[in-house]
Amino acid sequence: MGQILQILILGLALGGVYALMASGLTLIFGVMRIVNLAHPIMIIAGAFVIYWLFRLTGLDPILSMPIAAIAMFCVGLVLYKLVFEREAASAKYSEMTVLLTFAVALCADGLLGTLFTNTQRGTNPSYATDAIFLSDYLPKGGALAGLFGDVFIPTGQLYAGLASIVVIGALLLFLRYTRFGYAIRATTQNRAAAQLMGVNVGFVSLVTFGIGIGLAGAAGALISFIFQFFPAKHWEWIAILMSLVVLGGMGKLMGVIVASLLLSVIAAFVGTYFGATWSTLTFFLALFLILLIRPQGLFGDRIEEV
Amino acid sequence: MAANLDVGEVLDARRDYNAGLTTTARAGRPIWAPLLLLLLLALVPALQLTGGYNYLLHLLLYMMMYVAMASSWNILGGYTGYISLGHNVFFAIGAYFSGMVLAFFGVSTILTAPLAGVVAAGMGFLIGLVTLRMRGPTFIISSIALLMVARILFDNWRFVGGSNGITLPQLSLDAQWIKIPYYYAFLAIAALTVYASYRIKHSKFGLHLRAISQDEVKAESAGINTRMTKAAAFAISAFFVGMCGAVWGEYLTYIRPNIFLIILIAANMVLMCILGGKGTVAGPIIGAVLLILFNEVSVATMGASEINILGTGLIMVLALKYFPNGIVGTLARKKKLPRWLDWD
Repeated sequence: MGQILQILILGLALGGVYALMASGLTLIFGVMRIVNLAHPIMIIAGAFVIYWLFRLTGLDPILSMPIAAIAMFCVGLVLYKLVFEREAASAKYSEMTVLLTFAVALCADGLLGTLFTNTQRGTNPSYATDAIFLSDYLPKGGALAGLFGDVFIPTGQLYAGLASIVVIGALLLFLRYTRFGYAIRATTQNRAAAQLMGVNVGFVSLVTFGIGIGLAGAAGALISFIFQFFPAKHWEWIAILMSLVVLGGMGKLMGVIVASLLLSVIAAFVGTYFGATWSTLTFFLALFLILLIRPQGLFGDRIEEV
Repeated sequence: MAANLDVGEVLDARRDYNAGLTTTARAGRPIWAPLLLLLLLALVPALQLTGGYNYLLHLLLYMMMYVAMASSWNILGGYTGYISLGHNVFFAIGAYFSGMVLAFFGVSTILTAPLAGVVAAGMGFLIGLVTLRMRGPTFIISSIALLMVARILFDNWRFVGGSNGITLPQLSLDAQWIKIPYYYAFLAIAALTVYASYRIKHSKFGLHLRAISQDEVKAESAGINTRMTKAAAFAISAFFVGMCGAVWGEYLTYIRPNIFLIILIAANMVLMCILGGKGTVAGPIIGAVLLILFNEVSVATMGASEINILGTGLIMVLALKYFPNGIVGTLARKKKLPRWLDWD
């Protein structure tokens, strides 16, 4: 009983972070139909911003999250203007665009590797290695303490999970209650109709791309202290994030959140009972299964053909 | 009644017409060009009599390997339109199969390479039956996932040495001659692959593949068994990649997941085809030669492999944005393609 609760807690905390990592990806896909394979390397770029801030000024990773988000937002705008403007305008789901994002990922990987080398890094704020023990909060010797006595919550993952809930919540409110949020959702639903209703689709695409990459930067802040990171690590994350986005239904923000929590909990169980190697494999196998059985994901509509 | 026109004749006429469709341009091909190239490449090792050309041999050998890999990727990615970013899985399967045979029984991988190819093709066929049900970007994502799954499995498979890999015995030849068996092996593989690629392009099977790349639903309704055709294309393209892997493993004298299962190899295959011209016969060859030369120059002048990744990525972005038809494709479109490059 205690062990199951323990696994659930760890899985959910990590799932929150995964949800933040994948939310930018799904937002960009929704508006532009771009499967952005360069998203994970942008997360790592965000993590590097945080890492250097932490190393040079000692700024707390969670507090400096907005800095990374804004920096990566600007990177996103530049990237969009330089590379993706034409692809976004056609907004078709095509192989060439996927290859283009793959090439961008190679560039960013090479650039970060050249600048910072491929050694493992991480920030280590004081809470990263701490843990809250449930036994401290339960009545001593009671039935609850007997059941859940040895359950602990690593504070690093707890804070990371809470921070991502805050960011995702802000994103959902922004999409739901602001005029620009309406425009983004309208463009996601039907690009041509949105354009006819007077939405400046090009500008919406530009800003959405920026927001998506900015979310990657925010996720990078959390990555910096719950995982060790290095530039070449993003290849592994591509498939992990893709499995989340595909399971949630491409372009569905709520779907991706549910999928992240679900898969992350499953992976935590697999990791506990079969070993850590297999917990990563869970995501990849899930990706195959979803693509085969239900390619539109849990909440998605059928994806239009090219 | 036109009774003298019976069914048999109609069928014959149609078969002739179909055969003509795939072979019309074959007459008058400059067949001397590839033969001359083959002859020159076969004579290069003679330089070794004077010694000191090992680097040149290595460079040519490496190029020929990538010519074979890019050409066989082209069968799936170019003709059929299914872009795989995990094709080096079959490179690894070939390497591990032949490498283990070499380690246990001492049979040279050059002899077992065709067998390794068959194993890779068999795996390719089975994997293809599953993954080729996805179309477009979904297939690309699944191919990356396939690579990651393979990486994890090979990293944790004790029997083949896990992530440390295994060391293979070396040939007992002088340093002067040691590259030559592999050189000829890769020459044979490259020649075979390019010839196969050419024959496939000009066969009915190749027409089926091109029909699938244009519009799969229409191809299906025209009576093509798309599922089997695609899986066969996947298997053929895995076959040659597997053969390359087999010989490359022994040439390096060790096999390890982080040599064979890195995404840069797949990226190179894709980029060579795009640079040269996706879906053409000569394109991958030109792309492979250019990209390998670029890699050598960049490694020689700047060293670090990370800069190499950056360069590969930059070339890929530029090629995709401004040069999507590749060299051969662009020249053909402008009707300026020299005859010795025109094999389509």
